[in-house]
Amino acid sequence: MQLQYKSQAVAKPYFIAAIALFVGQILFGLILGLQYVVGDFLFPAIPFNIARMVHTNLLIVWLLFGFMGAAYYLVPEETETELHSPLLAHLLFWVFLVAGALTIVGYLMVPYASLADMTGNNILATMGREFLEQPLPTKLGIVVVALAFLYNIGMTILKGRKTAITIILLMGLVGLAVLFLFAFYNPSNLVKDKYFWWWVVHLWVEGVWELILGAILGFVLLKITGVDREVIEKWLYVIITLTLVTGIIGTGHHYYWIGAPGYWQWWGSVFSALEPIPFFALTVFCFNMVNRRRRQHPNKAATLWALGTGVMAFLGAGVWGFLHTLAPVNYYTHGTQITAAHGHMAFYGAYVMVVLTIISYAMPMLRGREVNPERAQVLEMWSFWLMTVSMVFITLFLTAAGILQVWLQRIIPNPQAFMAVQDQLAMFYWMRWLAGLVFMAGLVVYLYSFFAKDKPQTAAVGEAQPAAT
Amino acid sequence: MPVSPEAPASDDEAPPGQGLAIAAESLYLVNLLLLPGLAFLALLWLYFRHRDDAPALACGHMRQTLSASLWAGALLVIVNLLIVALGGYDAAWTWVIVILYFTTAHTTLVVLGTLGLARALAGQPYRYPLVGKLLP
Repeated sequence: MQLQYKSQAVAKPYFIAAIALFVGQILFGLILGLQYVVGDFLFPAIPFNIARMVHTNLLIVWLLFGFMGAAYYLVPEETETELHSPLLAHLLFWVFLVAGALTIVGYLMVPYASLADMTGNNILATMGREFLEQPLPTKLGIVVVALAFLYNIGMTILKGRKTAITIILLMGLVGLAVLFLFAFYNPSNLVKDKYFWWWVVHLWVEGVWELILGAILGFVLLKITGVDREVIEKWLYVIITLTLVTGIIGTGHHYYWIGAPGYWQWWGSVFSALEPIPFFALTVFCFNMVNRRRRQHPNKAATLWALGTGVMAFLGAGVWGFLHTLAPVNYYTHGTQITAAHGHMAFYGAYVMVVLTIISYAMPMLRGREVNPERAQVLEMWSFWLMTVSMVFITLFLTAAGILQVWLQRIIPNPQAFMAVQDQLAMFYWMRWLAGLVFMAGLVVYLYSFFAKDKPQTAAVGEAQPAAT
Repeated sequence: MPVSPEAPASDDEAPPGQGLAIAAESLYLVNLLLLPGLAFLALLWLYFRHRDDAPALACGHMRQTLSASLWAGALLVIVNLLIVALGGYDAAWTWVIVILYFTTAHTTLVVLGTLGLARALAGQPYRYPLVGKLLP
């Protein structure tokens, strides 16, 4: 089977790199999970803070690879034209991959303070902030890659058909690039620093990334259900409106205790309490489209990932976000394992799953066939359930740990110290780690599904055999 | 796969009773998320007002949502009260169990309602697993 547009093939290396980095992220997650209960595990080779940095940075980088791959795959098909420059896309892939790999190697091989000295942090100090730990050259590299990527995608959209999916995708990608610029703004005032730091972190994941999520999901649902484009577009308009209306002012839920004005406790509480609504709409959207489908697409695995994205995004980002978003609740829960529970399920449900959805849909075609063989799909669906169910358990164990932590550290008349409480959470951390192992097993099954072939049909027992000659 | 075995409804024509079906599913969700009690009363009113003359699609959704709402009341109010009564108000583990249980049970009921609403919007029937068979 041939691709509709030859240039869509550039998506393939992006997807492969995304999956490889995903494996790295989960390996470091397992190391971290063990360090919670065996404090000196792999110390001093991989200290906790470095393992955590690698775990979160790999997540961001592989999701960006996934988003870029998705854009390179879907934009030619939506715009009905070849990509503006496949060569540029290939070049950017290698630049981004080498920069990303060097950054991770730097984290692991060089003490962080030395890395900062070596990479010009004394010229423009941008390092040392959670999720934005990257050295200055890496940050500049990200900007260059993002701009060139936007140029490539933007030119393609300009010369081709304009659809709601491509426009929403472009809005999301432009927002992603523009908001990253706040990573370079690092005022010495700690309140201002945190205030604008959230413009990258929050406005990415609870703002523009949701537009990218909506566009990718809309594209896949359009293809696998055959529902009218207008129906899907109307849903997308509603979802992105709800996302932006709730998510932008919802940033206020990060401003409760950082020294920002007190009115943010009201604004943050009210608007972030509304943030589950777009995720709720996303779930109804996914199931409604599949219920109204006009064709039975043979890629059952992609359909499952798409439906799973709706549900898990609603649970992780919507429900678990709401759980601790109101200011009076957050007063007690702030920075506890409840936040970690929310973070795990929200990232998995919304962004990991949507990238795996587009990979599940596009990868067979990038490999020259409409869908994967039946056995490969069955394995992929097994991996879906293993990873998803284990992530539910990871979330539940972390939530339980968080509730106990709040109680012991912040509720009882004689609150206990942080590390004294951590000791008492060990049982939950062990259970979380075991669930993490199951997640890893699911990922191994997922990887294996790419190489699985249908078994050759064997002759039924008793069936007449041709006579030997 | 949680997808319907029925033929998909056309995008243009709404099957009879679809509006009532959507209203029932919406009231079920509003009862869980926004106005507990009040939305349930509205659902009760809807059920008794239309149970004899509603098309099959609407009847099915109204019965299912009413049954699921009754179960929801039991699962969310009675069970939690029992946990607190048995575990003690001032015990850490009571709250670990109550919050985990409430969040999981409530979320499951909301997700079921979401699937029901998606079915109603597509003009298809829906049977709530486990909590949807209380009514005749």
